[in-house]
Amino acid sequence: RYVRQLQRLQLLFSPTAADARGARQFVEEAAQDFARQHPDVVLYVSPHSGPGPAPVLRAEYLNGTVREELIASKTSEEIVQLATKMANQSGLDIIRIRKPFHTDNPSVQGQWHPLTNKPSILTVQGPRLQPQ
Amino acid sequence: MVVLSAARWLRSRLSERFWRVQEVLKYARHFRGRKNRCYKLAVRSVRRAFVRSTKARREKKRFLRALWITRIEAASLEHGLKYPAFISNLVKTQVELNRKVLADLAIYEPKTFKSLAALAQRRRQEGFLAALGDGKEPEGIFSRIVHHH
Repeated sequence: RYVRQLQRLQLLFSPTAADARGARQFVEEAAQDFARQHPDVVLYVSPHSGPGPAPVLRAEYLNGTVREELIASKTSEEIVQLATKMANQSGLDIIRIRKPFHTDNPSVQGQWHPLTNKPSILTVQGPRLQPQ
Repeated sequence: MVVLSAARWLRSRLSERFWRVQEVLKYARHFRGRKNRCYKLAVRSVRRAFVRSTKARREKKRFLRALWITRIEAASLEHGLKYPAFISNLVKTQVELNRKVLADLAIYEPKTFKSLAALAQRRRQEGFLAALGDGKEPEGIFSRIVHHH
């Protein structure tokens, strides 16, 4: 079954800062709907009073990664889109994947080595035959 | 002064210019000489590195194909076949394996590759018989073509 990799979303903003207007509108209007649509994600709303750091949406995933996205001067709809995007992600690092495939057992018949196609007299050490 | 956390204090101490400069320098860290430290030199080097990496994506395909061909040639020579003979006969027997897969088989599945080389060799012999014999002998078994409709 599908297990959502997002553990919790923390909405850190200041109730008086001007750039946190979108965050405040999101909390008033869309936060409850978002929480109902995603029942397995815990949404924490933590306003800190007074002038502080920029409003941020912090996502914590099941493998421990914490991703912070700035929501300064963003509208409520954009914050909803951002939150759904983070909810659908897993906590893996967003870097270039070198290969889209991976195996733990790449070889079934035995990997090639310089003696695979040579006559076996070169490798086999049988019992020493007595001179007859 | 209320310090909420070390990261926030650090962020407020350094200027915006520092972060803009670091954005460029982080891509230059593994360069040689002063271009990995000095911004003025690093900007030019980073831009050239990006341009080269975009152009190299087209070259990478050619390079990898040449690598696979080298590997298949080496593996088929071990079994007594040359690369053009191997590939052409494999195509004639309707075995549509690309060079990437053939190279991987040659490395990780040597017995499968040996059987593919034997198949190509047999088809080659049948081709010779059909071309030189020109008699009333029946067509070779492996020369039959399957039609998918």
